[in-house]
Amino acid sequence: MRIGIVGVGTMGRVHAEAYRRIGAELVGAYDPNPEKLAEFVARFTVDPFRSYEELLLRVDLVDVTAPTFAHEELAVRALEAGKDVILEKPLALDAASGRRILEAARASGRRLFVAMVVRFFPQYRRAAELARSGQLGRVGVVRLKRVLFPPGPGWYRDPEKSGGMPVDLMIHDLDYVRWLLGDPARVFARRSPPVEGEVLEHVQAVLGYADGRMAIVEGGWAYPSGYFRTALDLAGDRGLAEWSSDQPPPLGTLFPKDEPAPEVGLPMAGLEEDPYELELRHALEALERGKPFDVTPEDALAALELALAVRDSARTGRVVEVA
Amino acid sequence: MRIGILSFAHLHAEGYVQNLRRISGVEVIGFSDTDPERGRRFSQAYGLRWFWTHEDLLAEHPDAVIVTSENARHRELVELAVRSGAHVLCEKPIATRTEDALAMKAAVEAAGVSFMTAFPMRFSPAVEAARAMVAEGALGRVLAVVGVNHSENPKRHRAWFAEKALAGGGATIDHTVHLADLYRWIFGVEVAEVTAEISNPFDPEVDVDTAGLLLLKLENGVPASIDASWSRPPSYPRWGHLKMEIVGEKGTLVLDAFAGHLHVWRRGQERAYEWLGFHPDPNQGMLEAFVDSVRNGTPPPVSWRDGYEALRVVLAAYRSAERHAPVAPGDL
Repeated sequence: MRIGIVGVGTMGRVHAEAYRRIGAELVGAYDPNPEKLAEFVARFTVDPFRSYEELLLRVDLVDVTAPTFAHEELAVRALEAGKDVILEKPLALDAASGRRILEAARASGRRLFVAMVVRFFPQYRRAAELARSGQLGRVGVVRLKRVLFPPGPGWYRDPEKSGGMPVDLMIHDLDYVRWLLGDPARVFARRSPPVEGEVLEHVQAVLGYADGRMAIVEGGWAYPSGYFRTALDLAGDRGLAEWSSDQPPPLGTLFPKDEPAPEVGLPMAGLEEDPYELELRHALEALERGKPFDVTPEDALAALELALAVRDSARTGRVVEVA
Repeated sequence: MRIGILSFAHLHAEGYVQNLRRISGVEVIGFSDTDPERGRRFSQAYGLRWFWTHEDLLAEHPDAVIVTSENARHRELVELAVRSGAHVLCEKPIATRTEDALAMKAAVEAAGVSFMTAFPMRFSPAVEAARAMVAEGALGRVLAVVGVNHSENPKRHRAWFAEKALAGGGATIDHTVHLADLYRWIFGVEVAEVTAEISNPFDPEVDVDTAGLLLLKLENGVPASIDASWSRPPSYPRWGHLKMEIVGEKGTLVLDAFAGHLHVWRRGQERAYEWLGFHPDPNQGMLEAFVDSVRNGTPPPVSWRDGYEALRVVLAAYRSAERHAPVAPGDL
């Protein structure tokens, strides 16, 4: 299966590295920025495509790692050209745009995988399996945390282009809550007061379920440079699972903390279980064998709708009914 | 100074006896409890004089009393105690209804004694340091506060904690007040609004809530959460924890008030693995401050008003959870 990447920013590089490690056939890439494209193709020894049209002619599978505002156009064109699509999260900037992508997938008969990578982090997967196995009893309260430093200059900082922090970042944990508990009945969120001239943002969202289960999701672009913390806490009536990135990893390093941070921070996973590798391996395997994806396009759309509800509630201060 | 303990219904009474005995010049004259089983048990366990009735204890004219009854009985015992001229340290939450709290205030003022609300976490050195950092502006503008006060279900130690008539509710009334008080104390503002999800996902045998997630808006615009859930299993390495993260423009503060612990394993116990704390007990600092204020005739470091405002946050949370809408504690 010949794979082409469109968009060679942070996520394009992360996916390309994962493809290389799993031995997938990444044949080339396209990006409107010629310097970034040249650097990328040199690094991964793949072909530069002169246009998106050329990419669509040369590959079987399109991996869209372009900025969120370009998702709809790129994904729909690939699907209409008869290609399967791996699409970086979030699905789209708004629900209508997301639905158009899903409709294009249905109409083309091609397959769409939205890369909700948190479901492939070993600790999140293990905790979800534990919950699903019934060993925790009925999970009643879920706590999730994902807070890091604000993104550097670029499109992430512009809510018109990235959807803003809830849509770009909190969507990971909102998707995970849906994976564990299903769709909530209502959402309430509070966000930090704005800081002049800064993109600092911190949001806490409480999700309420009709049967009394509940979750709190904390997300933020709010820490000082270099810090990225995530945590999960699943409390059931028969057991409890906790994990926090504050726990030491299998391999620890101590380097100066004042070095410049990468453009977008990525959490460290286990050494041999890179979640991006697991995610893309799963997607390729499901495509090759015609098996279902662990994340359906409908899941990606529902997670986006939940993130938009969080954003709305944080803005208005009102409880949003979502069911 | 002679101190009596009114009721051993609350778990904390046991610790308080030991805290008081470490303070020089303090004599614990005994405790009153109308439950004979409890009276005999704790009298024996702590070598304490047991009074059958609260009136009997108060007839000994203690300088001060600690009210550690069930939440709903605080008012009755506080009214009795202040009429006898005793200063009062009252367990949290100070009451289960605002009218009881207001009646307690009137009785205290009429008697001319002092009243302190038992909020021990203000006396945690880590909390005091966090407050000082915020006050100095070390974090810059505060963006958000994340608070967690989890515990096991306390009913296995004392059943009344999970009885609505005596406790006023479950996990939410039990835990919310600690963090609500710390937020008020650290930032020096009231809670403007509360939105909450409250339910009982953990224990079908009780008729109270075992989980509560609250999102507050403080008067200074800072959003702050409280997880008040009884979500830790009985085998958890400690009763629970009190954690708070203050996310600021310049930096973030991560507080885990009971983080200093040994890892201890014991054979044949339900809590086979335990986190055994080695930092100073905040209750000790709280009781020393209470004794000092009574001795010196100075206002108590935690007031009736502090207890009342924290109670209003709790009541706002319950109302919000019923209505699925934000509620202002000031309206209650």
